[in-house]
Amino acid sequence: MLNVDKIRADFPLFTHHPDLIYLDNAATSQKPKVVIKALTDFYERSNANVHRGIYALSEMASAAYEAARSKVAKFIGATSASEIIFTKGTTDGLNLVAQSYGLANLQAGDEVLVADFEHHSNFLPWQKVCQLTGAKLKFFGSDASGFISKEEWQKKLNQKTKIVAIAHASNVLGTITDIKKIAKLVHAVGAVLVVDAAQAAPHLAVDVKDLDCDFYTFSGHKMLAPMGIGVLYAKEKILEVMSPYQLGGGMIESVSEQEVIFAVSPEKFEAGTPHVAGAIALAAAIDYLQEVGLAKIRAHEIALSERLLSGLAKNKRVKLLGEAQASERTGLVSFHVDGVHAHDLSDYLAKNNLALRAGFHCSEPLHQSRSCGATLRASYYLYNTEAEIDTLLEKLEEAINYYE
Amino acid sequence: MNELYRSELMEIYKDPAHRGHLQPCSVSLDKQNPFCGDRLHLALQIKDGVISDAKFEGELCFVSIIGAEFLLEEVIGKSLAEAKKIDQAQILALLDLNLTTSRIACATLALQALQQALVKYEEASK
Repeated sequence: MLNVDKIRADFPLFTHHPDLIYLDNAATSQKPKVVIKALTDFYERSNANVHRGIYALSEMASAAYEAARSKVAKFIGATSASEIIFTKGTTDGLNLVAQSYGLANLQAGDEVLVADFEHHSNFLPWQKVCQLTGAKLKFFGSDASGFISKEEWQKKLNQKTKIVAIAHASNVLGTITDIKKIAKLVHAVGAVLVVDAAQAAPHLAVDVKDLDCDFYTFSGHKMLAPMGIGVLYAKEKILEVMSPYQLGGGMIESVSEQEVIFAVSPEKFEAGTPHVAGAIALAAAIDYLQEVGLAKIRAHEIALSERLLSGLAKNKRVKLLGEAQASERTGLVSFHVDGVHAHDLSDYLAKNNLALRAGFHCSEPLHQSRSCGATLRASYYLYNTEAEIDTLLEKLEEAINYYE
Repeated sequence: MNELYRSELMEIYKDPAHRGHLQPCSVSLDKQNPFCGDRLHLALQIKDGVISDAKFEGELCFVSIIGAEFLLEEVIGKSLAEAKKIDQAQILALLDLNLTTSRIACATLALQALQQALVKYEEASK
């Protein structure tokens, strides 16, 4: 069991907003004091650019930055720290893979496969590279729970498939995809598997070697770290031959007027001054999550999902978007109410200090394929309580009656 | 809780006088709210340069419905020149809803539809 009272005390935002019920964690999480302190400590005590100076302060900053990289590598089970590229976030990571790996490896006649529940950030970059290369972008249809059937895999995946890009967990349906299982299918046709882990990394214990995916990317800010820092993991043998995405300082071995020899990974993919303080604060967030315990956080989220799902099931007018069981989803539930607009419900809930997301959650094709307008999404994390879920259910009932 | 909206607005929302199908009409237009995907259908009947009747349709939120109701109440009976002068500030003042920035697009959805419909009508009449 989590000691939620103790955890909440670690988050200064809740001190400043004591009445807030924050249920928009799939958009971004709040930050514990230790993470905020890691940021300010870096700027107050260690600030210098990395990989540049030979003076002590720069070496200290570089060492802390590289220690953060090693911590991330260990956290997700990467073979080596050189497989960890720091990015701005998941979107940045997916664009890097699409623009670098995608552009170099796709040609007319090839196919790229994504699921119908992808966030815009995991299909717009592919739509773009398909337009540029003449490759074809195809979508897996998922069932009401957000699972892709064996038949659908057989129908869509073939020898022309070069890239499969899929969310480890859907930001709308919440459903967790079995990455280990699909990696085998994808590799069997000689394609690579790109995983958007924005909604998974904050909630699940991950071992990328065990999953055997080729690329795995996520954001720090959804897992207690600052905005603007993210991670792209890729297998070393892929990074070795992959071209850099952006060019500039900090990523070369030697440069002349007409030629350049790039540094090896990860520097090759980190042109310009990186978000050093963000990486160090991400390491602090990982320490915090591990101290609380990922397994305990997961059990807590499942309990909250069960409570919310059973409460919503009591109201016949509430329709779920994504019917996965509590244990099959990360900490989120999307729903809509017959005859009442999601934004009106959201307004009413907001007046009662409940912060939820209403809209398409950057997954417009999914809402179109399910013939569904805007939805409400409740997403929770380690600091949310059962009492908060009960308040949501109570106020939602009130809101529905209000617009009746 | 304190009432979210004035009670008279709640009555308008539950039974909007100008919601419905207008047939025949002089001009009609669909306008989508990019924020939530809501689609408002607006139809105008124009006689001798005056808007004689107007109706809206669509699955819409409270704020869009109130925005459409107040706008159509205002615009029916007005000349095309007068109708063109109605702006966002005027509608927001009429609604007096203390809206957050994200809901202004809802409140003015019907107004945007009206402005585009008037342009469409004039171009078709040329």
